[in-house]
Amino acid sequence: MDSGNAFGDLTQDYIAECLPLAEAVTDAFLQLERRWREGDAEADSVVELKRTLHTLKGNSAMMGLRPMQIVAHALEDVCARVVADIAARKPEIAALLIEGAGLLVDQIRGAAESPADPVRAEGFIARVAAALAVPTPGSRDVPPAPEPADRAGLRLERRRSERPDAAAGGMIRVDFRRLDALLEIFGEAMIEQSALPEVYRRLAARCGSCPEIGELDRVVVALRATMKRLESALMDTRLLPIATVFARFNRLVRDLAQAERKQIRLVTEGGETLLDKAILDRIGEPLVHLLTNAVVHGVESAEERLRQGKPPEATLMLSAAALSDRVIVTVVDDGRGLDTERILAQARALDLDVAGGADAAHGLIFQPGLSTAESVSHVAGRGIGLATAAAAIHALGGSIEVRSRPGRGVVFTLTLPLTLAILRSLIVEVDQERYAVPLSHVAETVRVQPNTVHAIDGRGVAMWRGSAINVTDGGALLGTGGTHSAPRNYFVVLFSGPRRRGLLVDRLVGHQDVVVKSLDPSLGRPDVVSGATILGDGRVACILDATGIVAQREVAQV
Amino acid sequence: MTTPARVARPSGASLSDFADQIAAQAQAAQSLAQVTEPAVAQLQLIAFRLDAEEFGLPLATVREVIRVGDITRVPQAPEHIRGVTNLRGRILSVVEIRTRLGLNAAVPGPRSRIIVVEVQHRVVGLLVDSVSQVLKIGVDRVIPAPDEVRSEASDHISGVAHLDQRLVILLDLERMLFAPNRAVPSPS
Repeated sequence: MDSGNAFGDLTQDYIAECLPLAEAVTDAFLQLERRWREGDAEADSVVELKRTLHTLKGNSAMMGLRPMQIVAHALEDVCARVVADIAARKPEIAALLIEGAGLLVDQIRGAAESPADPVRAEGFIARVAAALAVPTPGSRDVPPAPEPADRAGLRLERRRSERPDAAAGGMIRVDFRRLDALLEIFGEAMIEQSALPEVYRRLAARCGSCPEIGELDRVVVALRATMKRLESALMDTRLLPIATVFARFNRLVRDLAQAERKQIRLVTEGGETLLDKAILDRIGEPLVHLLTNAVVHGVESAEERLRQGKPPEATLMLSAAALSDRVIVTVVDDGRGLDTERILAQARALDLDVAGGADAAHGLIFQPGLSTAESVSHVAGRGIGLATAAAAIHALGGSIEVRSRPGRGVVFTLTLPLTLAILRSLIVEVDQERYAVPLSHVAETVRVQPNTVHAIDGRGVAMWRGSAINVTDGGALLGTGGTHSAPRNYFVVLFSGPRRRGLLVDRLVGHQDVVVKSLDPSLGRPDVVSGATILGDGRVACILDATGIVAQREVAQV
Repeated sequence: MTTPARVARPSGASLSDFADQIAAQAQAAQSLAQVTEPAVAQLQLIAFRLDAEEFGLPLATVREVIRVGDITRVPQAPEHIRGVTNLRGRILSVVEIRTRLGLNAAVPGPRSRIIVVEVQHRVVGLLVDSVSQVLKIGVDRVIPAPDEVRSEASDHISGVAHLDQRLVILLDLERMLFAPNRAVPSPS
């Protein structure tokens, strides 16, 4: 058991160290392919790449992962040929290098789950052997023997110089779960701290003013400021550059483009932008879908592009930038743009609201059931749909928008929160029950005046900023079972993407930063509640799922 | 232990003789153990009350027993979930086992407790009227639930333990917590 865990840890270390190396190698090969195709036979980077491959081979051998070991070895062989022979610097060889590096990435990423597939590795090695047209005895039987002294020395030296920053800055590797545990404890401290002002108020009311009360006030205020600093320092430890997600897209786009017989160049920008790892883990899928969509449906074939006076090679741009406490990620293609008429026709067939201009029509592509595909290709229908991608973004408390210009391309704009662990929220009360509403989904709170909310066909409707929005009673929606004779005092305008809905509540308690805790699976999957938190008084409050509430079809009676 | 010295191989004795000797000693040791220890395995239970009835759970599944604090209702939660409570900063689901067994929902009083159990790596709380004691009984005292107990709730009962004048109903927690709610019709 223990040795199994130790081995698991070793495997995790192996993945953590080798996956970025393999991804970097893949990217470098992709760049080489581009150069060589353009006739630039430069291969200076190959020497360095060969060293990296050697490290990968060594680490894989140490773990007994033979498929990775032999693939890395075969790639070294190809690199050696490329360095020695300028005639070998051609796209076909580059494709072979990319294939092998991609295979390495896949195998390393899957090292923890399943044993590496020797068949794919053997197949690749056979192709390398054929391409090099020389027998490759080494690749079949990699000598596990120690390296010649000079090479071993080189490797050792490189290892030492590999992470100069790490050595100087005292970098350590920490299991992410430990950071989660830290955050949990911080959350408890925050709950306890949030109870202090109330205790202070009561104490001050009882004792009146005295020097000690003034001192207590100062301590409470100072503690709150320190807790804020602690929060942001803690959050910093959870942030990773978005490049860690972008890294795998180069190969994805290249492979897809090749399968679609299109010429596409992926440009990434702002890879250094930082995001909470918990969010990074959940934006990969939606981005894969957007990129796949752009390659398969957005971008035209080279011939068609030439006919329209565009360069034959399309450009896909993936960029990220921080904007106050949000991160904006855009996916831009210079393809044909969305087919507005087609979307409208499909929307009418699905009985969707098609009012509004072209932008409103484009927003409809996030509706389930709507497809932008012209024909069903082998890629379309793979992965997740646009509606699911949008739902994933909304579930993160983010938003997704699309703009399109015919013949010029499509821009998807994703707005994401920096972190998921702490939620800026509005605490509301409905029939004595308290709920936290994520502020990222609150457009406004409105005091209910007589005749603000009208019942139309049994649905509550209110005018808000010049348009009619649905209004739902909080008690009915949340099943409080309370019988309210007095009308509710406020409605909170919730929004998610383009949808809005008013929620009637009794009281607005105040703003609070709450620590998000997940609900036990035994609670089923409520679609109006996304999690729970603990308030200053120690009571648990449910966090409303604004996206779920806004998306609800049947409207509870007011 | 002096055993090794006693079974030291006598010089001249054959190897098979030596083996027989060891086997005989092992048998003797076993019968000795049977005299000093009870013949049947023991079951450790935590006993609690719902109305007048006494119920039991294997002590091994119990993590702790806590007083009943504020329980927050969760919208759209299954009927047998009373809500969630704060267990030292963790969110604990509280199961209303009374309705699971066909009784009316609990009205928590001063003797009410939440028994925190761990079943299949999940931690949940069981709301009970009171916790009586920890019992140690032989497994031979446990019989399958008699027909008169086989009510609508019998799906959740693994057996009944006889203890002097008492009957302790043993609950099948895994079934009660994870089986679909089919045996108990809604009281309302």
